[in-house]
Amino acid sequence: MGKIGIIAGREFNERVRKKSFIFTTILMPICLVAIMFIPALMMNISSDEKKEVLVVDQSGLVGDRLQDDSTLTFTLSDQTAEEVVGQQHEGLFGILIVGSDVLTNPSNVQLLTYESSTINIESSIAGQISTILESEKLKEYNIEDIDTILAAIKTNVSLKVKQLDATSGDTKESSSVLNIALAYIFGFLIYMFVFLYGNMVMQGVIEEKSNKVMEVMVSSVRPFELMMGKILGIASVAVTQFVIWVIFILLVGGGAVSLLGLSDVVASAGAGVDPAAIAAAAPIDLDSEMVAIIATLTDPAYLLRILGGFLIYFIGGYLLYAAMFAAVGSAVDNEKDTNNLQLPITLPLMVALFVMLNAMQDPHGPLAFWCSMIPFTSPIVMMVRLPYGVPGWELALSIGLLVVTFVGMVYLAGRIYRVGVFMYGKKPSFKELAKWIRYR
Amino acid sequence: MKELIRVENVTKQFAGHKALDDVSLTIPEGGVYGLLGPNGAGKTTLIRIINRITAPDSGRVWFDGHPLAATDVPNIGYLPEERGLYKTMKVGEQALYFAQLKGLSRAEATRRLKQWFVKFGIESWWNKKVSELSKGMAQKVQFIVTVLHEPRLLIFDEPFSGFDPINANLLKQEIMALKEKGATVIFSTHNMSSVEEVCDHITLINKSKNILSGSLDEIRRSHGGNIFEVDFRGSAEELKGALASAPCTILDSSASDDEALQGAKPAGLKLHIPHDEDVRHIVELINNNTQLRSFHEVIPSMNDIFIRAVAGEL
Repeated sequence: MGKIGIIAGREFNERVRKKSFIFTTILMPICLVAIMFIPALMMNISSDEKKEVLVVDQSGLVGDRLQDDSTLTFTLSDQTAEEVVGQQHEGLFGILIVGSDVLTNPSNVQLLTYESSTINIESSIAGQISTILESEKLKEYNIEDIDTILAAIKTNVSLKVKQLDATSGDTKESSSVLNIALAYIFGFLIYMFVFLYGNMVMQGVIEEKSNKVMEVMVSSVRPFELMMGKILGIASVAVTQFVIWVIFILLVGGGAVSLLGLSDVVASAGAGVDPAAIAAAAPIDLDSEMVAIIATLTDPAYLLRILGGFLIYFIGGYLLYAAMFAAVGSAVDNEKDTNNLQLPITLPLMVALFVMLNAMQDPHGPLAFWCSMIPFTSPIVMMVRLPYGVPGWELALSIGLLVVTFVGMVYLAGRIYRVGVFMYGKKPSFKELAKWIRYR
Repeated sequence: MKELIRVENVTKQFAGHKALDDVSLTIPEGGVYGLLGPNGAGKTTLIRIINRITAPDSGRVWFDGHPLAATDVPNIGYLPEERGLYKTMKVGEQALYFAQLKGLSRAEATRRLKQWFVKFGIESWWNKKVSELSKGMAQKVQFIVTVLHEPRLLIFDEPFSGFDPINANLLKQEIMALKEKGATVIFSTHNMSSVEEVCDHITLINKSKNILSGSLDEIRRSHGGNIFEVDFRGSAEELKGALASAPCTILDSSASDDEALQGAKPAGLKLHIPHDEDVRHIVELINNNTQLRSFHEVIPSMNDIFIRAVAGEL
């Protein structure tokens, strides 16, 4: 164990001191924030530039009631469709031609555009026209005060969701938005970590083999110790990176909370105060979704489940896959030869990623359940299910299976590794690897 | 003499070819043991078996009187032919790392390393990256790392390749010093001049088989072709005449009669004297006819023996 520690220590120090580690550790959260905010910024930028639509209304019903929105402005034209189409127009997005019989024949509406249109624009225009026509038809029934009635019945439902504990009857704030976001972030993070750091193990093994460092070390270290040291050393790099990120997020989150003056809100949410009171106490407008998110994020049990689950499944999944990556690295002479051997590694990971997308919709369905039990996919799929709450026995079974499988995989990989690191000039097949496992 | 390693009937088969075929040899403790053979003969496979990197298909290896076990490996220092260091690591840190893996404490490793670095005059390399070193420089570092934990058995695979004569000499001295201290050295090479200088015993492996084993002196003597070299002053012609009836064959003569007569420099003559003949009689003949200056047997170089053995002439 002592030697594995020395080896892991070297792997850790070498990698943590690298500039690339410092860069990715700092840049990754910044990139994540950028990914979240840049699209929002972009939308703001594009909305400044409005698209002008010239309207030729042959029905006389629609034209003057079209409302400009954030992206479109409508200008009514008094010319006929033929005249308008025949003319030159500067900076015009398109021409909307509404047929005279549009009330009885709603498909008699044309949008002629000078540039490609988008679904958003089309549905916005079609939606406006539909509303106008619907209210026009309503008027034909001659109901008194129809406009006031229509205004009065306009309703916007905001659903307050709480999760009910079947045994205690307690309710808990629950936010589907938060669940989906966390499921996605953590599932993807595991996929990324396993892949990146697993690859790092493989590259490290290939480097040692091609540098012939292996030959020097054999008189002092057993190949298995070398493999385990490398895997554990790189695992500690990953955990370090993750911890730095968590601290970073807590700092940024804490900063945002005090900046917005939400400290009291968070404190009372953490203390389990009634959500309505919380929302009322907040200095800025909070809808019920936001209150639910804050309440959930300040629930220690919830955080422990997510972060603890992440660490367990990351380490388990990483050990399982890193052992496979190490075996592949030991079998080849250079990185070019790894492609076909990597297939059994990348395939289950890809499957897990696809199941993850499905499990976000249906976290307790049979596909999500089985894939969260199978050790090759469970680290990612179970991470997606965790925010929604998973029965204890399922969690225990899944973790147990994962542990058994990675112990077995580390053993098999060690058998391959021990032979592979001294095999040069051979492009090994799976058959060859199976033979190595049985070598003395 | 006490034996340190005994290899008994070791056979190792790789897919399609036999790397070692029923090889047996005994390596005495204390001394330099040459493991010779052309490329691909099976030397490295044998070294790997002694290092317990691979296991033999059949046969046994004994270490210090007991079957070689994993616990013996820390007593072995191995300098492989292919030098292996982490390119991006600093020299000092890397040497410390390897030393710690060999079971030295950090403090002890630092102390010993400083000594060696001073001895080799490379103190200034401590903070250099390995990738900044030349091949020869990296090999010095590697050598230090190999011997640092003072193991009982040292295995050097082509230790002089890549060294200039000055550094090769330095290394040779260090190897001899290690031997003086009681270490056993296995020295694998096909550089025969270095074998003559440092080895006490040798084994010659060719085509996976041990074809020649024993003490270097004995091997060289026993493979002498019974050829003697004579240096003398006087007439070569006269001597040849005197030897004509003697039971020996004159092979060649290096000086003309004139030069030898004038005494400008001694004349030389090579004789083949059959093994069972009495040498004294011939020496007497030479002595009576010339001023004999030297008479000695020509001992073949290891190089000759190696080439003849591999060609199957021995």
